[in-house]
Amino acid sequence: MKSHFNKLEEIDRTRNPFKVPDNYFTRFNEEMMNRLPEKKIVHPPTIPLWDKVKPWIYMAAMFVGMYLTIQYLTKQSGTGNVASRQTTVQPSPGEGARTEAYWSTVQVTEEEFYHYLEEQLVEEGYFDYMYDQYYVN
Amino acid sequence: MEKNNEETLLEALRNPHTVRQGFASLVSAYSERLYWQIRKMVLSHDDANDILQDVFVKAWSNLENFRGDAKLTTWLYRIAINESITFLHKKRSQNHVSIDSDDSFLINLLESDPYFDGDDAAIQLQKAILTLPEKQRLVFQMKYFEEMKYDEMSEILGTSVGALKASYHHAVKKIEKFLEENN
Repeated sequence: MKSHFNKLEEIDRTRNPFKVPDNYFTRFNEEMMNRLPEKKIVHPPTIPLWDKVKPWIYMAAMFVGMYLTIQYLTKQSGTGNVASRQTTVQPSPGEGARTEAYWSTVQVTEEEFYHYLEEQLVEEGYFDYMYDQYYVN
Repeated sequence: MEKNNEETLLEALRNPHTVRQGFASLVSAYSERLYWQIRKMVLSHDDANDILQDVFVKAWSNLENFRGDAKLTTWLYRIAINESITFLHKKRSQNHVSIDSDDSFLINLLESDPYFDGDDAAIQLQKAILTLPEKQRLVFQMKYFEEMKYDEMSEILGTSVGALKASYHHAVKKIEKFLEENN
C-alpha cells in the first residue's frame, strides 16, 4: 500500500527502515579487534651516559681553557708592569746621589717658586683655559 | 561520551601497553553511531559495513597522529565522512555518473538491500535526499536523522553554525518540494 505525505513533519522518524543483521554491533566489535594488526611497542632509544654528559663536559672544558688563557695573559702583562714600575720607583743608587747633590746647590725661596709656577701657567695659556671653563659659562 | 570518560580513553590509547584495550572500548563506544552516519550516506548495509571497518583500521593506524586537539568523536566522524564520500565518488565513476548529477542510482542499491524494509514513503524520502548536493545532504542527514547539535556538526564539517543552519533550511525546503511534486 502506498502511503502519502507532503511534509517532513508527517514522517514517523521513530521507525527506522534501515536494518542490521542480528547482534551485528556485538559481532562487529569483536571481529574488528581481531582484524587489527598488533601495534609494535616502540621503546624510546636508551642514550648512553657519555652521550648525555658530553655537551656539558665540552662546555666545562671550554670555560677552563678560557680561564687558563686569561690567567696566562694576565700574568704576562702583569710581569711587564711590575718590571716597568721597578725601574721608575727604584732608581739606581748612583743616580739618586746625583739628584740630591744637584738640589742641594739650588737656592730658591718659596715666593720665587710660586712666581715661577705662575709664569709657566701664563705661558702655557692655562689661565685663559680656566677662565673660559669656570667663569664665562 | 563524557569528558572524563574520553580523557580516560585517551590515556589508555596513549599507553602502548593498554592501547589495544583502549581501542576496543573506542570501537564499542562509537561503532553504532558511526555506522548509522555511514549507512545514511551510502544506504546499503554491506557498503556501510565495509566502510566502517576501513574507518577503524585508519583510526588504528593513525592513532599516533591524533594529538587530541579535537574530540575523539569529531576525529572519528571526520574519518567516517571522508571514507563515505570517497566511496560515493568511486561508485559514481563506476556508474558513469557526473559530479553534478544526483545519486539516484543509489536507490537501486537500496531497493535490493535485504536490510531495508522501508515502504514507499521511506523510499520517496531517500530519493528526495539524494537530489540534494553532497554537502547539503550530509548536513540534512546529521541533523534530521542523528539529531546532532549544530556546534558538533560545525566542528566535524569545519563550517560555521550559521552556514549549517542555512544549509539545513534549504535542504528541508527542497525535500518538501520534491515530496509535494512526487505525491
